[in-house]
Amino acid sequence: MAQIAFEQVSKSWGETEVLRPMDLSIANGECVAILGPSGCGKSTTLFLLAGLYAPTSGKVLFDGHVVNGVDARDRNVGIVFQSYALYPHMTVRANIGFPLRFQKVDKDDLSRRVVEAANLVQIDEFLDRKPAELSGGQQQRVALARALVKQPNILLLDEPLSNLDATLRMSMRAEIRAIQRRLGMTTLIVTHDQIEAMTMADRIICMSRGAVAQIGTPDELYRRPADTFVAGFIGSPPITLLEGDAKGETLHIGTGAMTLTASTAGRITLGLRPEDLRLGAPGQGGLPARVVTVEPLGREVLYGVETAIGRLHVLAMAGDAVPPAGEPAAVQIDAAHSLLFDAGGRRIPNLNIRP
Amino acid sequence: MSQAFVPVRCRRARPALFLAPAASLLLLFFLAPIVIDVGIAFTNMGESLKVTAWTLKNFDRILGADRMIPLILLTTFLYVTATLFFFNVGLGVVLAITTTAVSDRLGALFRGIWILPRMSPAVIYALLWIWVVDSSPQGLLNQVVTGIFGLAPLNLRNDHPLLVIILANGFVGASFAMVVLTSTIRSIPEHLFHAARVDGASEWSVLRFVVLPSLKGPVWFITIYQALSLLVTFEYILLITNGGPVYDSTTYALYVYRRAFEGGHYAYGAALAIALMLFGVCFTLLQWRLFGDGMNRTRPRIEVL
Amino acid sequence: MAEQSSPDWMALARRGRRHRMIFLGTITVFLTLVSLPVVMPYLWLLTMSVTTLGSAAVMQVFWRAAGLVAVLYLALIVLPPLMPERFRTWVPAMAAAAAVILTTLFILPLTTLNNFRFLWNPDVMAAQQGRSSTIGELPSIWSAMGNSFALAGTQTALILITATPAAYALSRLAFRGRETLSRGILLLHAFPVMALTVAIFIQSYWMGLLNSILGVVLVLTTLELPFAILILKTFFDAVPWDIEMSAVTDGASRWQAFRLVVLPQVSGGLIAVGTFTFLRGWEEYVYVTTLLIDNSHMVMSLYLFWVSQDAMGADPNLIAATGVIYLLPVVALYVFAQKYLTQISFGGIKG
Repeated sequence: MAQIAFEQVSKSWGETEVLRPMDLSIANGECVAILGPSGCGKSTTLFLLAGLYAPTSGKVLFDGHVVNGVDARDRNVGIVFQSYALYPHMTVRANIGFPLRFQKVDKDDLSRRVVEAANLVQIDEFLDRKPAELSGGQQQRVALARALVKQPNILLLDEPLSNLDATLRMSMRAEIRAIQRRLGMTTLIVTHDQIEAMTMADRIICMSRGAVAQIGTPDELYRRPADTFVAGFIGSPPITLLEGDAKGETLHIGTGAMTLTASTAGRITLGLRPEDLRLGAPGQGGLPARVVTVEPLGREVLYGVETAIGRLHVLAMAGDAVPPAGEPAAVQIDAAHSLLFDAGGRRIPNLNIRP
Repeated sequence: MSQAFVPVRCRRARPALFLAPAASLLLLFFLAPIVIDVGIAFTNMGESLKVTAWTLKNFDRILGADRMIPLILLTTFLYVTATLFFFNVGLGVVLAITTTAVSDRLGALFRGIWILPRMSPAVIYALLWIWVVDSSPQGLLNQVVTGIFGLAPLNLRNDHPLLVIILANGFVGASFAMVVLTSTIRSIPEHLFHAARVDGASEWSVLRFVVLPSLKGPVWFITIYQALSLLVTFEYILLITNGGPVYDSTTYALYVYRRAFEGGHYAYGAALAIALMLFGVCFTLLQWRLFGDGMNRTRPRIEVL
Repeated sequence: MAEQSSPDWMALARRGRRHRMIFLGTITVFLTLVSLPVVMPYLWLLTMSVTTLGSAAVMQVFWRAAGLVAVLYLALIVLPPLMPERFRTWVPAMAAAAAVILTTLFILPLTTLNNFRFLWNPDVMAAQQGRSSTIGELPSIWSAMGNSFALAGTQTALILITATPAAYALSRLAFRGRETLSRGILLLHAFPVMALTVAIFIQSYWMGLLNSILGVVLVLTTLELPFAILILKTFFDAVPWDIEMSAVTDGASRWQAFRLVVLPQVSGGLIAVGTFTFLRGWEEYVYVTTLLIDNSHMVMSLYLFWVSQDAMGADPNLIAATGVIYLLPVVALYVFAQKYLTQISFGGIKG
């Protein structure tokens, strides 16, 4: 087991800096997700940790010791790659046993541990097949078994579920999480899928353009995003961000205005999540609005409404009584959950709009 | 604004017109010579290029009377297997693996060096070998042999002609496998290398467990393809040893050529050539059976024009 | 689980570095040694072309040049990755500068361009060869070069004109027998053409094409055609159908679609096949020597061969100079077209 830390670690390929100097600390046994859009440097972070890439500057520490120059094969990490990276010419048994080949493990012990690992991920019946004869989900399990068989200090998962279909993804999510809890090893999951990150991780590192945007629990990232990027990236359907000018306690947006709980000044961005808005008939109070678009999502319906402060998105349960498209309506805002960001995009704590 | 739909006169493409120029050339200078060769094989055409009689004598000669043929076949077998095993496959595999294991720059440099013999005109390449193995003390090899190792000068071209043609062809042949296998190695997903490193494999083990297994299929293909190519070409041998001394380094393909053009036994040469052609075609059909013919079989998606 | 003692990370890092150095060092040394026999003869050719035989200078120039190449190799290619970042720019620059100075001081004074005098004085070669030669006087190198250019150039043009429409038809036109025809071409590509020397010689004799450049061009073009068609076919196969469909929908005939829309997409393939054909024509020896039996039409390969075979009066330095002149266009063309040539897939390289 290991505690991991980054001290000002950066990575450049020639002139292009893919990872800006970054600090990071992951506790022993913690499960952390690195979340971000593609190209934000999250896989780079993972490979730096595994020793597959060498940092351009800074220190990678395991349990407080610098491991910068240590080869990947000496770090005792296990990785599940996005493509699974199974050796195509080896059977499942040989694939899982491969990491043990390079440790001083005797034959009986080796086969016992291979079977154990296979049992853990429930693929013991496929041990003598080649990877090409397995489905995507089974290959994924083999990759997981191969990563676990050498009892790594750190388990790294690079987009582990992105090649699976939706139902399988849900069950694997829970299964991986359960295995991680059971074995208690420090785990890092790289993903671009917020649901995956939220459901599997204790903490989420949200990254954007080679830098950490925010580190926190799933709830923190959702309710108290550090900036407009995190607010926009987390939450589905996405948050509506409206830019306005604040003068004292009044925030002017478009042709309308909102009242703030404290006075401020300058460019302010208001963030409203669709699930924090309610759509009702006109005259019931709230912001006068007109329904423009209706998008049924199954259990819920997403409405686009035009208001004085701009276009808002409202999430309502299917079957709720709401005005049809083109009709006037009113939007009620859950003011306590409103988010306000300053000119630099940083969230202003303890500031809300008044109901 | 509405306009009546007027179908344009149907302009079907005529595949025959597209194919005609190439087809007429192939008929005239590729297929016709095959037929002519078979025809001449049944005549007594000699130096005068005149045909006076139809005969089966040429085939009798191949099948028994020509005492050279067993020797020629032995030479051919030794030459092909040794060149193939040590160079066209062996060295090619080693070069592909090693040049992809070092930095891109170093790898590109060495691949460039090994391509050099292949792109050099045959006459120059042969000339270099003649100079290298020159029997005088000024010969490049002899300078090394006498100067560095203090041995007596060698006369390889005379004493070990087979060795010379194996080396000369091998140095050219290694680059085929090198180029093909380099692209095979390049196409191994990077994740596999990463996975092996994380799993504890050393640099050497990565070559052994990730790179080498991926070469299996292509190596079989190269072996068959290059075996055929070594069997039927003789340009470098002709230029370096001319098959000599006497017939010591004459392979079958060169034997065909020498019989026809050195003594003017055109009919006999034509008969000998038939065996080479048959062998080539059978070998190719075998190769197709084993590996497929590698042809793109997607149907044209515009069917009507 | 029990708390594991942390491994000695420092020692692991040292071991990893050592292993990496051993791995790269072993491979680099191996490649260097195994490649020496390839490099040295070419260096010898160059040396011979700029020195005079019999003078002590030959060996001096050769070994000095070899030493220089070795130093440059170390300083420019091998060592830079091992150096700290700040040395990496100026050490190679210094090495290059030192190489220029060393060459000027120690190699250039020993060399001569006299061997290349046949370039500006065509009679030298003829005079020198004519005396002892059994084959009569050789024409000047310029006429051989001109013939080679004409041969390779015509062959390239003919190949492109005939192979391109054929490859297009096999790749993209729907007609009966398309597959059979493609397989036929494939079989011809694998056919041992060297076995046809006898028949082609006889046929050329009958057709009156012996001793004519045109005859050689027609034969070589035809023998290269299957290869050219197959390679161009793979390029046509890769052109997306959408653009051709849209061209046809816009009212173009297939011929127009071929010419205006598809052909520009395969320009890389045309360059690759063109370059390849040109190089083959430029270097061809067997068919040239078989079909051009008297010396009225000398091409470069025959020229070099005759110059080198003439044991009595052969001047190795003159031969080397001729060889360098013969080799230069090949190397230049190869370097220029390399990125196109590498697009030729599998089996595209002559065995």
